[in-house]
Amino acid sequence: MDNKKHILIVEDEVELALSTIHFLQDNHFTCTHTSTIQSALKEIKNNHFHAALLDLGLPDGDGLVLIKELKNKNQETGVIIVSAKDTLNKKIDALELGADDYLTKPFFFAELNARIKSLIRRLNVEESKKIVINELSIYPEEMKVVVHDKVADLTSKEFSLLLYFASNQNRVLSKTILGEFMSSGYDDYGFSDDLVYTHIKNLKKKLSKLGCTEYIKNVYGIGYKFITN
Amino acid sequence: MKLITKSSLTFISATVIFFLIGSVIMYFSVRNIFSSNLNDILLERKVVLEKQIEPDNVERFYAKEVFVTKLESECVLSFSDTVLIEQEKYVLYRKLDFPYKVKGKNYKVSILESQTKTDVLITKIVIMNVGLAVVFFLILFFVNRHSVRNTLKVFYKTISKLEEFDLNNNNELNLDSAQLFEIKKLNSVIQKMADTLKRDFEVQKEYTENVSHELQTPLAVISSKVDQMMQSDNLSQQQMEHLALLMETTNRLSKMNQALIFLTKIDNRFYTEGSAFDLDQLLKQQLELFEESIKQKQIKLELQIEDPTHIYMNRYLAESMINNLIRNAIVHNNDTKSISIFIKNNTFRITNSGEELSFPADKIFHRFKRSETNKKSLGIGLSVVKSICELYQFNLSYFTKNKLHTFIIKFK
Repeated sequence: MDNKKHILIVEDEVELALSTIHFLQDNHFTCTHTSTIQSALKEIKNNHFHAALLDLGLPDGDGLVLIKELKNKNQETGVIIVSAKDTLNKKIDALELGADDYLTKPFFFAELNARIKSLIRRLNVEESKKIVINELSIYPEEMKVVVHDKVADLTSKEFSLLLYFASNQNRVLSKTILGEFMSSGYDDYGFSDDLVYTHIKNLKKKLSKLGCTEYIKNVYGIGYKFITN
Repeated sequence: MKLITKSSLTFISATVIFFLIGSVIMYFSVRNIFSSNLNDILLERKVVLEKQIEPDNVERFYAKEVFVTKLESECVLSFSDTVLIEQEKYVLYRKLDFPYKVKGKNYKVSILESQTKTDVLITKIVIMNVGLAVVFFLILFFVNRHSVRNTLKVFYKTISKLEEFDLNNNNELNLDSAQLFEIKKLNSVIQKMADTLKRDFEVQKEYTENVSHELQTPLAVISSKVDQMMQSDNLSQQQMEHLALLMETTNRLSKMNQALIFLTKIDNRFYTEGSAFDLDQLLKQQLELFEESIKQKQIKLELQIEDPTHIYMNRYLAESMINNLIRNAIVHNNDTKSISIFIKNNTFRITNSGEELSFPADKIFHRFKRSETNKKSLGIGLSVVKSICELYQFNLSYFTKNKLHTFIIKFK
């Protein structure tokens, strides 16, 4: 049986939808795309989805109505709202209706990827609760990292960085992407680059001390890449 | 000054002046009437007297209130007022002098007529008149006051409704229909104005949100395509660097857009819900967010909270205000590496070491004004602080001295 996770994308901006599909397929997801609420309702009725990305401003209404449909069909479906509307009220509305996460446009694919994976891990009972990369095991729920059966002593920032990398293996993550991730959406610029550098340096040091392969590689002048192949 | 006070004052001063002048005029005209009446009486007595006087015995003529004086030359007929002392009392008389010529001799005959009776009469008339005027004035005053107050009641109602009216809340302005033409007109004009304002405000709010939506989506497309390209294996180092720069710039653009939308929302009074909280608690929470940056930059942080300061405002705006000030102090710090924060006396003060400004100090809160050395900064954080302070009428000031930069917020 096909082990790929199925994602529903409801987005009326076709180009954005295409890039998203392309990206998710690269990450071993299968995707179904619709751009209206009506067609989305049909898809929800006929298919099982592991996660759904919902845009709010759709041509035939507000994407919020789909949350209930998805959750009624299957509680395990992770619902992520992807919207340009960055208002607190909208977020609260969406979360109250049962959405699991809220992403503001524009977003980075790395961020989307990390959030989808985390959601699927969290909501699906049968899903493995750990990520294993050769000698490296990551336990997201316990915030624990094990290398060669030894527990690594990481700070919470270092842990979330490693998890972020592990969710986005073999992808170039630019400093902008990592900076945004580290500063968790704080609006101004100015000091995240150095901070990212320090955290990654410490993380790499701690992992290699335990004999871990150097997965995190520096991409000169651009950022970093977690290389497993 | 209240409208009713103003109208009463005008009324009082006008009537007082009018009555003063009126009383004086009346006194003199009444006196004039009585004088001419006395003159007639005197002239009648003159005719009688001329028949009574014996030409031979002029100088010895005697009658009550008649005096005869011998003159060298001829005198003319004239009326005048004169005062005699009778039993140590002054008594006012009307006097008629007329010439009397007999046997080549000139005499002046004076006839006196007491004015006591008429004087009393005049006084009585004046008193009666003034009393009447005062009563009249009082009645008029209260009637006027009552009617003005009654008329203004509708007007005051309109004012209090306008005071309660808030564009942000979902309440409509409903003015009562008044009976008076002018107030009816005023109400309808205000009503029309409020409706237009409300409609425009809604449109503006919607516009802000639409701008956000319309701009963020294309930015998301750009960002996604750049990300996609960046993952290709066959890119040269230079191409990679260009893509990384494109990604960074797009991200900047998006942040800037969000910041501008945020500023517009503040200026449009979008954030109205307020709550009371302790400033020092909020400050500590915000400092926690910057803990790592401060540590990494090896900045010495001095924190001094002398008085617990309670403020009442929108929590989100308060966080943004403090956050932007701390961020500014960190980003623009120099090698001295110091930040000090004081909360004291309802005042928040933050000082950081930093290079001299490359622009005039009074431009520091302007949008997109930033130092030459820190090109990465958006230059919008301090205008956010300023907008928030303006919204709540907090006093925000800045001064710099010896490469130390201080921002002070004085809460109300």
